[in-house]
Amino acid sequence: MNDSRKVILGVALWVGAVSALHLRLNFDWSVYLNDRLPESQRKLNVAYIPVT
Amino acid sequence: MTDYISRHTASGNLFIPRLFQGFPEIKEALISNTMQAGFMVAPMAMALWSQGVPIKIVYLGHRYGSAFVVRNNGPIKTFPDLRGRVVAIPTRFSDERLIVFRALKKYGMTAKDIRMVEMPPPDVAGALAAGAIDAFSMGEPYPAQAEMGGYGRILFKARDLWPDYMSCVLVVRQDMIDKRPEAVQALVDGIARSGLWLEKGRPYREDAADFVGRFYYHQDPRLLRWALTNPLDRVMYTPLTPFKPDFELVRDLMLETGTLDHSIEFNEYVDIKFAEGAKSKTAWAYEPGGLEAR
Repeated sequence: MNDSRKVILGVALWVGAVSALHLRLNFDWSVYLNDRLPESQRKLNVAYIPVT
Repeated sequence: MTDYISRHTASGNLFIPRLFQGFPEIKEALISNTMQAGFMVAPMAMALWSQGVPIKIVYLGHRYGSAFVVRNNGPIKTFPDLRGRVVAIPTRFSDERLIVFRALKKYGMTAKDIRMVEMPPPDVAGALAAGAIDAFSMGEPYPAQAEMGGYGRILFKARDLWPDYMSCVLVVRQDMIDKRPEAVQALVDGIARSGLWLEKGRPYREDAADFVGRFYYHQDPRLLRWALTNPLDRVMYTPLTPFKPDFELVRDLMLETGTLDHSIEFNEYVDIKFAEGAKSKTAWAYEPGGLEAR
């Protein structure tokens, strides 16, 4: 494998790893999946603020 | 809290809680239907309704729990010492601003005597510590944060000047009320049951501080423990039914201070039926640290 291929593979692995971590740690799947349900089955999104 | 306990019930949960850092952002999310319900300060909810936003107030989030805080060992010893000073409020459409007006009136001062600035609630304690502001009027746990940090002290609590003080209310979009009243009722019932559960005593409040701090507010549980138990009636979770005189007082203060341009009627912007429906509810059967609820 030449150097340019190694760089491309390394970058691809890095981008893939960061994207996977982002989707695991930062992405709210419950909201994403809820928004795709029929309206009658959706949970209500309730906004709150960290004040009592 | 309702969400946490609901997750431990067999009937499951009907809503997804979403954390925001400021009331204006909640307002925009409700207008755009990104959020179908939310907690916000009562004057903002009333102003939105008066401007034609299709929402209704259906319940209260809590009672009391706001305070006016100044720097510890600073030059402000009494409220009149604030002349020419900077006071932070969460938004101009807030009960925390109205309480400042009540204090100004009590001490024969006007809004021109101080400078009020709007600031997201999570920023005020740090701003006070850094000297960027001289005082703030805000809901808990930010007064508790300033107290715990040793750089702030409560000059007065909201209830000292406003005996039936309320702040955050639950608002729901009108289309949800029309199309899914059972879901709205379940939400209000859950909040009513959570309020009754919290009022069962100190161990319940301490448990709530632990899981709300860690999983919802992302704050140190010790801070919420301070806010919820020091003393126990610092924030109250009953009664949460919206009462007409409380809202008429807010409306009149808003008219007086220029945040409402015409009078509005309680029955128009409050839908009381969900609070009525929740009146027979009892506290969650969930013991502190428990794994199941009913």
